[in-house]
Amino acid sequence: MGSFVLKRSLYSIISLVGLLVLVFFLSRLTGDPAALYLPVDAPASVREAFREARGLNDPLIVQFGDFVWNLLHFDFGESLRRQRPAFDVVLEAFPWTLCLAAITMSLVLLGAVVLGSLAAMNVGKSFDRISSVISLAAASAPDFWVALMAIFLFAVALGWVPTSGTGTPWHWILPVAVLFIRPFGLILQVVRGSMITALSSAYVKTARAKGVRQRAITFVHALRNAMLPVITVAGDQAAGLLNGAVVVESVFGFPGIGKLMIDSILQRDFAVVLAAIMITSLAIFIMNLLIDLAYALLDPRIRY
Amino acid sequence: MKLTTATLLAFASMTMLASPAFAQDKNVTVVLTEVLEVVDPCMAARSDVGRVVLQNVSETLTEFDPGTSKLLPRLATEWEQVNDTTWRFKLRPGVKFHDSSTLDPADIEFSLKRNKTAALGCEVGAKYFGATEFTTKAIDDTTVEVTSNPGSPILPLLLSILPIQPSEDPVDKFTTTPNGTGPYKFAAWDVGQSATLVRNDDYWGEKPVVEKATYLFRTDAAVAAAMVLAGEADIAPNIAVQDATNPETDLSYPNSETSTLRIDATLPPMNDRRVREALNLAIDRNAMIGTVFAPGVVPATQQVPPTTIGFNKDLKPWPYDLERAKKLLAEAKADGVPVETEIQMVGRINIYPNATEVMEGIQAMLLEAGFNATLQMFEVGEWNRYFVKPYPEPRTPNLVQCQHDNAKGDPVFTAFVKHHTEGAHSAMSDPETDKLITEATAASGDERTALWEKLFAHVNDEYIADIPLFYMVGFSRVGPRLDFKPTIATNSELQLSQIRFKAQ
Repeated sequence: MGSFVLKRSLYSIISLVGLLVLVFFLSRLTGDPAALYLPVDAPASVREAFREARGLNDPLIVQFGDFVWNLLHFDFGESLRRQRPAFDVVLEAFPWTLCLAAITMSLVLLGAVVLGSLAAMNVGKSFDRISSVISLAAASAPDFWVALMAIFLFAVALGWVPTSGTGTPWHWILPVAVLFIRPFGLILQVVRGSMITALSSAYVKTARAKGVRQRAITFVHALRNAMLPVITVAGDQAAGLLNGAVVVESVFGFPGIGKLMIDSILQRDFAVVLAAIMITSLAIFIMNLLIDLAYALLDPRIRY
Repeated sequence: MKLTTATLLAFASMTMLASPAFAQDKNVTVVLTEVLEVVDPCMAARSDVGRVVLQNVSETLTEFDPGTSKLLPRLATEWEQVNDTTWRFKLRPGVKFHDSSTLDPADIEFSLKRNKTAALGCEVGAKYFGATEFTTKAIDDTTVEVTSNPGSPILPLLLSILPIQPSEDPVDKFTTTPNGTGPYKFAAWDVGQSATLVRNDDYWGEKPVVEKATYLFRTDAAVAAAMVLAGEADIAPNIAVQDATNPETDLSYPNSETSTLRIDATLPPMNDRRVREALNLAIDRNAMIGTVFAPGVVPATQQVPPTTIGFNKDLKPWPYDLERAKKLLAEAKADGVPVETEIQMVGRINIYPNATEVMEGIQAMLLEAGFNATLQMFEVGEWNRYFVKPYPEPRTPNLVQCQHDNAKGDPVFTAFVKHHTEGAHSAMSDPETDKLITEATAASGDERTALWEKLFAHVNDEYIADIPLFYMVGFSRVGPRLDFKPTIATNSELQLSQIRFKAQ
């Protein structure tokens, strides 16, 4: 197990370095930051002075050397737009996204596992059909539209929750609810399908023949085996959230990393882009590692 | 049932407690559709910073009133021109910054120099002072002379853009706690979420009514509008046209922007005046009002809006005359002008609402008139390459989708950059235009006004440099508590001292 973790860590570091190198060079092909930062009316002399002052006139390889050297000192450089350390800017945003993703995925897994299992136990019955329709609708609902409709219904018309922003637990309800919908629909379907397969397997029939109670068969014997594909899909969905729930963050005014990353890419704020990629990649690496370990925990046949 | 009722009651009461506070008493909540990334006054030419800082926290020496087109005293009480390059400003005595230091000539010198610091890339300096060098001389504690190179007959107007910062502010980095002389002190900034201003009770001028202003940031204009509707905010200065659905709260205002297509008049076939006229005649502007452009936009005749001195009132919008456009093209073709040459239309995604649809519509109109027009829509970074010199090589004849803001009252902020051969956004070269710009820039008073009028007549009717589209409008949603009407200035600032409360 220890050697597996070590090996995965090494692979991840190699991937991360490759990613940072790729992003560093590709992002610099996309345009001149001075052209975006300075007003369009700025004369060429001002642009030139700005580029010079920020080292943007240096050869690309020199800029890369500076970047690597600074990185070795845990310095991602300064945000062009904000004139503050890029790492600080990213670290301010990341906890918001992390919390949003953690709360959402916990609720999604809880809801999808319970309802998906119940649907699998009642295949073809009303509950199964209703849950299938709802989950399919949820999986295909566009975030943006759902978010705006939720604001107008629950915040403006009914006044139950704030429209947007942060500050109280009530501010989290709508963003989490909107983020919940799509992965919930998807994972519910995966749980249902996986559970149907598990419930029709030989070991379940054996358990039934031995008189084990249905609830124990479902939630102890079948669910454990059915969880492997669920964990894979859940990991994929969680990675999507960690990379930034851009639409939800934008609509609800959440200062998370998704919106920060998109804005920084559009503004060619390279230091922030690189710092954000570093942080989210690390988070996704840790999550993938935990998923692999969870496989081994759930299925004794899997050993690393 | 009891549980349900109790739960609902608890939920309702907690919701009420947790509701984002309806602004109480004399406090207002402003929701902006941009996230405030910096708060340094030298960035106040950016609308997000300007709406918070300009004339609220930091003030300027003079203030341009777009309503009357007059220049008003602010931190300077009077000014006079000493010679062609030097102006003398009398500072308002006894004015103090929020940290209690006194305004003096050193602060003027510091603000001018700091705005031109390359490392900072100040928006104000880069946009308005890039090609001008300043020196200052303190005559006494409240008198300062400012010399500019080149000399500017409108230096007092130019200084209506420069927020004055104390000389103690950092020189090479942005301040995160702006210290100004204005009627509001910068109290708090929760990066990415909110900023707060509180009334400066030691302000030199009239005490404003609003005591505290909280700025929230929502990049989705629909959400900003919904916040005012839900009572979570009092004013959303910039909402989208499709969200401006309630005539009681949603007010339109001319936002000082002029939308145009810039013609590359240096390359064939558009170096032929007939082709440029045909381009203008081929576009049905009226068909675009209330469809792809907001209702309320006004067909434009020149780059500057009507609040600018030297705006030529005699110019008329180009009519839609497809037959004449075709006839002009045929004439040009008969004279050997390669009118079949591909004309690249360069659009910028989201430069204004429905920007893509506008370009698609215009492309269809140009095709109908016989032009070989192709369309490419770019995001701002790529579009900039076509918009600002040096233009990408090899050059192809193009029409570039533009929007230009001049709320400052003088065409000098427009004419050179757009129409002079050396202008950073110019795609024309006309000695008569260059001469008129040089003369008008150096003139003052009535002569200046007349020369600008002459320039715009020449550029738009005789030379035909652009395809003027519309004087644009913006929309604000103002909550029922407030007595406030947006103006052309709302595009770049939001003076809290102009906000009143309706009688309860």
